[in-house]
Amino acid sequence: MGLATCGIAAGADRVYAALESAIRKQEHNIQLRRVGCIGYCREEPLVNIHLPGKPLVILHRVTEADTGRILHAAATGDVPRDLALCRINAWDPIVGDKLVFGTGFEDIPAYETTPYFAPQQKIVLRSAGLINPEDIDEYFAVGGYTALHKAITEMSPADVVHEVIISGLRGRGGAGFPTGLKWNFTKEEQSLRKYIICNADEGDPGAYMNRNEMESDPHMILEGMLIGAYAIGAREGVIYVRAEYPLAIERLTAAISQAQRHGLLGENIFGTDFSFSVTIAGGAGAFVCGEETALIASIEGQTGRPRPRPPFPAQKGLWGMPTNINNVETWSNIPVIIHRGGKWFSGIGVPENSGTKVFSLVGEVECVGLAEVPLGTSIRTLVFDIGNGGLRGKAIKAVQTGGPSGGCIPASLFDTPLDYAHLTEVGSIMGSGGVVVMGTETSMVDTARFFIGFTDEESCGKCVPCREGLKHMLMILDKILAGRASVADIEILEELSGLIRKTSLCGLGQTAPNPVLTTLRYFRNEYEALVERSRSS
Amino acid sequence: MIRVVINGKACTAEKGESLLSVARRKGIDIPAFCYEETLAPYGACRMCLVEVVKGAQEGITTACTLAAAEGLEVLTQTSEIVSLRRALIELYLAQAPRSEAIRALAQRYGIQKTRFARKVRPDDPLQNRCILCGLCVRICHDVMGAGAINYIGRGHFTEINTPFYEESAVCMGCGACARVCPTQAIAFEDIVQTRTMKSWSGTRVPLHACSKCGRHFAPAPFVNYARQKLAPDLQQTPLRLCPDCRSREIARKAVLLSTGAAVAD
Repeated sequence: MGLATCGIAAGADRVYAALESAIRKQEHNIQLRRVGCIGYCREEPLVNIHLPGKPLVILHRVTEADTGRILHAAATGDVPRDLALCRINAWDPIVGDKLVFGTGFEDIPAYETTPYFAPQQKIVLRSAGLINPEDIDEYFAVGGYTALHKAITEMSPADVVHEVIISGLRGRGGAGFPTGLKWNFTKEEQSLRKYIICNADEGDPGAYMNRNEMESDPHMILEGMLIGAYAIGAREGVIYVRAEYPLAIERLTAAISQAQRHGLLGENIFGTDFSFSVTIAGGAGAFVCGEETALIASIEGQTGRPRPRPPFPAQKGLWGMPTNINNVETWSNIPVIIHRGGKWFSGIGVPENSGTKVFSLVGEVECVGLAEVPLGTSIRTLVFDIGNGGLRGKAIKAVQTGGPSGGCIPASLFDTPLDYAHLTEVGSIMGSGGVVVMGTETSMVDTARFFIGFTDEESCGKCVPCREGLKHMLMILDKILAGRASVADIEILEELSGLIRKTSLCGLGQTAPNPVLTTLRYFRNEYEALVERSRSS
Repeated sequence: MIRVVINGKACTAEKGESLLSVARRKGIDIPAFCYEETLAPYGACRMCLVEVVKGAQEGITTACTLAAAEGLEVLTQTSEIVSLRRALIELYLAQAPRSEAIRALAQRYGIQKTRFARKVRPDDPLQNRCILCGLCVRICHDVMGAGAINYIGRGHFTEINTPFYEESAVCMGCGACARVCPTQAIAFEDIVQTRTMKSWSGTRVPLHACSKCGRHFAPAPFVNYARQKLAPDLQQTPLRLCPDCRSREIARKAVLLSTGAAVAD
C-alpha cells in the first residue's frame, strides 16, 4: 500500500486499515506492507499486489469498498482487472540486483508501455513505492549501503570526490552548482570539525519532490550523506527538514535509529576509522531558510536571515566550521554514482546536465504527479507525453518552472529542453523541480501577482530591495489587476524588477522578479489589456 | 599592505579590509546606512553598491562586504550605480518618510519625491524614520552584550523592538542604539532619576546620582557595567562622579599638586 503523504491524503490510510482488518479476520495468507509513493498522484490510492511468480501489479484509485474483492481475487491467484493500472515483470533498483517478480497477466499493460511511466527513468526514485521506507531490511534488499561499503573500504576520500566530479552531478536544490567541486572546497579546508547538511527545507508552492524522496526512501539519503561525509572528512551531519513534513521527519528519525542499530551510523563504521552521526533539525516555516546561510543561522538558533557570501559555508559554515550543504535529491544520487561509477552517470541526460531530475507536475494538467526524467527532456514530453496534456483536454497556455523564483514559459517554447542553461535562456530556472501547468483561462498577470505575493510574504526583510521593492511590486500588480493602472506603472514594475534582481542580498530577492519579467516578456499583451481597460473606463 | 584601485585612484589597504573602509579613508564618498566599523559587515542597506571591474567577484556588489585584495579595481559612481542608488533612495523615502537623513541624501541625488506609496504610522515608536538597517540590534547584541531588542516579524512587516513589546529587563539604557542609528529614529528621555527608552516599549532605567553634587547623570546599570570593565584599582573612584564634578576634582588635584600641598582623595 502506497503510504506517503500524498497517498494518505487520497485515503490510503483508510484503505490500509480496511485491508489489514480483512486480512486478519479472514486469515488470508497475505502479507501487507507499507511502501512509499511511485509518483503517480492522480491515480492514488495505489496498491501493489504481488502473487508468487506473477508480475507486480499496481492497482489504482482503490477505495475501502474494493478491499474485499482485491483479497478475494488474490486468494484465487488473480487481480481485479478494472483496478489494474499496470504490471511490472522485473525492476532495476540501479544499485542492487534486479528484482524479478514474475510473468503472466499479459492483458494488463506493462509499466514500460504506460504513457505516464514510459518516458521516465528512475534513478532517484529507484525504489520509491516499491520498498517499505520504515524497514532497513528492505533497503538492504535493493542493494542498500553497498555503495557506502565500497566507498569506505575500497576508495580514498579523493577517489570518491573524483567519482562525483566526473559524474557531472549538479546541485538539485536550484542553482545547479557542480556537486563534486563543492565537496572539494570543504574537503580542502583544514579544520578539526566539519559538517555536512542535507537541505530538506523544500518550500516552493506546488513542489514536493524532496518530501517523497524522504518519505519513500529515507535510507538512500542517509547513505548519500555518509558517503559525502567520508569524502569531505565530516563527523557530523544535520538534516534540516521543514516542520510541515511530519511524516518525512518520522521516517527519517526511524531510519537514523535503524542505521545506528546496524552500526551504519556511529563510531568506526564497517570497522574503519570513519565515524559519523546525523541529527535532524526542524524548520519553523520560513521559506528563506532554504537559502544556505539562512539555514545555517536557523540551525544555530538565530533569526533565519541570509548573510553575504563570501565567506561561503565551505569556509565558514555551521558554528563557524567548514560546511557542505546539498539538497535531498543531490544526496539521493550519490549511492548510484559510487555503485555504477561517475562515467555511467554522466552518460544519462545531456552534456553539462547529467543524470535525471524529479519534477512535480501540478496545476491544470491531466496526469498530476512526480515524474523523473533525464535532464534535457523537453517540456513537451513532460507535459504532454507524461502529463497527457491539459486538464480534461483543455489547451495549455504556459508552465511555470522553478517555483516562485522561476519564470512562466509559454506553450510556443515547449520544445525547450529541461536543462539548466536552456531554462535560464528562456528566463526561468530549473529550481528544485516544480512545474505548474496553466490553462488558457489563467491570467498571467494574476499568476505573477501570486508569486510576488508569495516572495513578498517570505522575504526575510533584511535588505531593502527585496523587502520594500517586492511590497511595491505587489501594490502595483494589484493596481493593474484592479484596472486602475497606467502604462507608467508597467514601466515602474520593470524598473523595480531590475533593481531587485541586481541589488538583493540573496538568491530569494535576486530571482523573485522572474515571474513578472517572464510574463512581461511573453504575455505583455495581458498587462496592456488591463491598462487599456483602465484608460477607457 | 596591498594596493587597490578605486575610481582610477590607487589606494593602499590591509588585505581583507572592507573596501568601504578603504574608500572612506581616502575621502571617496560612498553612502552607507548599515555599516559601522566596530561591527561585522552586514550588507543590508545596499547603498554602498560598487562595480568591480577587476577582481574575484566582477559586477555589482556592496563595498562593505567586499574584501580588499591585491589588484582589485572598483568604480563607485557609474551611471548604472547612481541610477540603482536613486531607486533605492526612493524606496527609503517611502519607507521612512520622516527621516531627515534620507531626505538630505535624496536631495544630494536630485530626488524631489518618491514614486512609491509612503508608509506613515501615527503610533510608530521609531517615528517613521526606521529603515531597518539593523545597526541598533547588532550594537546592542554584538558590542554591548545586552540583546535587549531584536527584529519582530518578517519582510516588510519587520519591526525592531523589545520581546513582546514589554519593558526590557536587560536594557542598560546606554543609548548606543540611538547613537549608531543613521536616521535618528530612536528616542529616549531623561526625567530626574529615570531614563525612558521611548522607542523600546517604554523601558525605564534608573539613573545614577553623582556622589558629590547629586545630579543624575548616567544609567545606573550602564555605570555598573562600565565599572566591571575597569581594572580593580580603578573600579572605585572615577565613575561615582558626574563629568562636571570629575573635571573639577581633577583640576583641584592638579592645582594642589603644583603648589606642593598634600593631596587627599
